[in-house]
Amino acid sequence: MLSPERLGLPDYEYLAQRHVLTYMEDAVCQLLENKEDISQYGIARFFTEYFNSVCQGTHILFREFSFIQATPHNRASFLRAFWRCFRTVGKNGDLLTMREYHCLLQLLCPDFPLELTQKAARIVLMDDAMDCLMSFSDFLFAFQIQFYYSEFLESVAAIYQDLLSGKNPNTVIVPTSSSGQHRQRPTSGEASMLEGVEAPLFYQCLENLCDRHKYSCPPPALVKEVLSNVQRLTFYGFLVALSKHHGINQALGALPDKGDLMHDPALDEELERLLAQIPGLVNSVTAGPEASCLPARTPPRVGSPWRPLHHARKVDAESDGSTEETDESET
Amino acid sequence: MDVLPVPLPSAKMAAVEKRRLPVAQAANFTGSGRPGVSRAAATAESEEDFLRQVGVTEMLRAALLKVLEARPEEPIAFLAHYFENMDLRSPANGGAGEPPGQLLLQQQRLGRALWHLRLAHHSQRTAFNNNVGVAYECLSASGRKKKPGLDGRTYSELLKRICRDGEAPEEVVAPLLRKIQCRDHEAVPLAVFRAGMLTCFVLLEFVARAGALYRLLEDPGLAVADRHVGQAVLDTLEGALQASDDTTPARYLEAGSRLGPDSLALAMDRALVARRPSTPMTREEFLEKAAALFIAKVKPVG
Repeated sequence: MLSPERLGLPDYEYLAQRHVLTYMEDAVCQLLENKEDISQYGIARFFTEYFNSVCQGTHILFREFSFIQATPHNRASFLRAFWRCFRTVGKNGDLLTMREYHCLLQLLCPDFPLELTQKAARIVLMDDAMDCLMSFSDFLFAFQIQFYYSEFLESVAAIYQDLLSGKNPNTVIVPTSSSGQHRQRPTSGEASMLEGVEAPLFYQCLENLCDRHKYSCPPPALVKEVLSNVQRLTFYGFLVALSKHHGINQALGALPDKGDLMHDPALDEELERLLAQIPGLVNSVTAGPEASCLPARTPPRVGSPWRPLHHARKVDAESDGSTEETDESET
Repeated sequence: MDVLPVPLPSAKMAAVEKRRLPVAQAANFTGSGRPGVSRAAATAESEEDFLRQVGVTEMLRAALLKVLEARPEEPIAFLAHYFENMDLRSPANGGAGEPPGQLLLQQQRLGRALWHLRLAHHSQRTAFNNNVGVAYECLSASGRKKKPGLDGRTYSELLKRICRDGEAPEEVVAPLLRKIQCRDHEAVPLAVFRAGMLTCFVLLEFVARAGALYRLLEDPGLAVADRHVGQAVLDTLEGALQASDDTTPARYLEAGSRLGPDSLALAMDRALVARRPSTPMTREEFLEKAAALFIAKVKPVG
């Protein structure tokens, strides 16, 4: 019932730790942008809806990127929304390119930066040709790591580069005996033939990083687990291992286990119910690959900001059709 | 329906061109009903002024103070409830046309008082005391009678509601209610009200802990506990409570040590060794006896 450390914090730290002011500020901005709403429902009602939607994680839909990445809760909510809106892509086994996944992301967040999608795709494709096709779950879990731990991974990349070039960014922490030993390695001919960096040294650096990092990091114990299975590894090898790690996914808490990714009976039922209301569509869905237009059906329900984007996107005729049909079913 | 992501209304409007609503119109909906506000707001230029005029600034300041006072584990959910409660209170939702019946009004007041009382755990004593004060005003201010004040009937009703919501068995808490209730027509001073609320919340927590203790003693198959072991635990508890008659810190330490794992384990061990066939002890009986130990310490009202 009580977690005493929360009660002992100074006011500002308590508020900052839980991002209370971020949300209050955003609530006021939203209120100023929607004065019509408050004239209809009243201010208390507006705030009730706002904070409830934050709790439910629906507050990030169609918001600007700077807000979506502002707090860990927003990031987790966005990952969850992305999964729930587009998991039918995975269910149908469709493979999409990086650009296509980026379009899906932009449906939920119009100014989502391409760079982040590229980085996620690089984890899946291991720096191969970037126009390759990826499965939904591969992309989703790689994207999760890249998006949620964005700042952490940037620091990791810097550490990795330092280690590769023979510098030890961690000299203060690492005991002299072992650091001397490690420093000699990369200069020797043998080491430069091998790919990547030594896992134990890499872990020491990352452990130190986790301690002082102000952004979210994966739990150090799990990072250790990932790194203890190998002797050496490359940067992308590390990211792939993180993205496939079951425990890290659980600790992050936004997505279900890989096996349950396509399993959501409640949502299936809802979709089926919606489809049943649309005359003439049931056949085309059961027919097969056209079912990929399904994900497009979820967003149109929620309104206008989505539509111009949708048309701007290079879309096939079917999903356009489905948009209109869904609208009809609502009227 | 609820499984699909539903955006909040404001998100829907995000793309709508930002238009400046005539400020006076918005000011009518704050529920504050202060005359003259709308005229002043109409001249307000900046957004800051707008927020102040329609009461947002004041509302958020009060909400933030409540958050800091209660330090909830989930501040965002706390805020959602806070504003929801405020919304329900506003006259716009109270049925503006016809005045609600006396009974309904009474229920609303009780609900509001309960909400204030639960904002902070009783161990956060300053916050709890503040909330008790607010709840007391809630209940006493809006009486129909001429003289303000809280009558014994409302106070008893509130105690009953707290116990009922606390999920403690009725027969367990009934002795406490008998002890701290006031007569229906009596006026209840704040000090009595505060002591009553605090005792009630502490007892509920005590009963919940006793329930957890019983689950440890319980035979999982039979859903009953051995009478001798149960009695040994209760006796240890009684001994500890007697030691704490005095309120000097040394007494607290003594009580703590009597309940420490080793002395409790010794008592249970003795009971197990001297095991004789007996009727088992049910959960209700255990809770009732444990609560009786606590209630014996409560000073009766009046």
